[in-house]
Amino acid sequence: MHPLLRALPALAALALSLPAQDAEGIHWHSNYQEALKEAKATGKPIFLEYRCEP
Amino acid sequence: MSQYVCARIIRMDEVDIAHFEYDRNNPLYFFLMNADEQIYTRYGGRDSAAVDSYLNLDSLELALQKGLDLHEQWKQGKLKAAPRPAPKFAREYPLLVERTFAKNQCVECHLIGDFQNIHRQLDGSLDKKKHLWRSPDFKLIGITLDIPKGLVVKEATGPAAEAGLLAGDLIRGWNGTTVWTFGDAQYAYDMVDRNARQVKVRVERAGTEKELTIALPIRWWLTDVRWRQSSVDPRVYFDDRPLTDDEKRQHGLPAESFASLVRRVADMAKLMKTHELAVGDIIVAVDGVDRDPDVHTAELYLRLRKKPGDTVELDVLRNGQRIKLPLRTLQMSFRK
Repeated sequence: MHPLLRALPALAALALSLPAQDAEGIHWHSNYQEALKEAKATGKPIFLEYRCEP
Repeated sequence: MSQYVCARIIRMDEVDIAHFEYDRNNPLYFFLMNADEQIYTRYGGRDSAAVDSYLNLDSLELALQKGLDLHEQWKQGKLKAAPRPAPKFAREYPLLVERTFAKNQCVECHLIGDFQNIHRQLDGSLDKKKHLWRSPDFKLIGITLDIPKGLVVKEATGPAAEAGLLAGDLIRGWNGTTVWTFGDAQYAYDMVDRNARQVKVRVERAGTEKELTIALPIRWWLTDVRWRQSSVDPRVYFDDRPLTDDEKRQHGLPAESFASLVRRVADMAKLMKTHELAVGDIIVAVDGVDRDPDVHTAELYLRLRKKPGDTVELDVLRNGQRIKLPLRTLQMSFRK
């Protein structure tokens, strides 16, 4: 198997855990634990959205 | 928004559904909280008419500001930690696992709500008035909100007006729970015992607080649930309306009966051969039962007291004759 293909699952998991940025410049975590970590580190509150898969 | 850490969760696989409990038929729902998972307030909620009846950018901004205020209070030790329920996860529902995890399909919010109810039906703990008829409608007790202003009352009529609620009042407490947003208030209302006959409401009016007691009418919890596509809701494929007292007298039916007039028959009834009711029929009893304290129509009796798939015998008045007709209910299936 091509090395890139072997890396796909790991890359996908990484992409899902990284914050996405929307048009307003807001970073959206898709990983809840990562959001908790950032909130702990920054002292900010959390705006948590549950939504159906678009 | 820059003052918040934002998270968007679209799969419920790892979510503690006991802590983040809400009416799962909201396709969009928000919690404002902190790193210790203390929930300050909710934003969301809906009615039978639409998913976005109560979603509004102005009220969202108010909620965000309140979240920041409460976070400041938390940091200063001025807020008490709320007790957290025992954790619960979607994978604890075997039929949901079979339906989603095992097929590598998305564990959607509405599926969680539905499969919780399926399991409740199996173990006998299902209370349809509480678990199926979720999110009671404030308008049924005469409360119309000024939606952009959050919980400011726009108009009070009926039971709310009789309790003394006025336009301009700001709702701050519902049934003993402090509420900051419509999402908080609707959730607090949802937690009220369905047999309750009154609810305490705290309001701010001209700088002072008042507590009002709203008398809850019979069936205050009743909303149109057909859009929910719930597996525990028997599909009956007709609409009816309660007979008036005069109509009941005219037909020699007891005043307390749930006799109802069939107004519409869905094409599905013919297609699936579930019943042969016709518009204008009067249903006077279901399996020999003609009254129920929670019920005012035969359709509601079927939805509330029967399981999907049950077959019943209807007593029907048609053209002055009393006849018996079978009716088979169906179970809803999902799109994916």
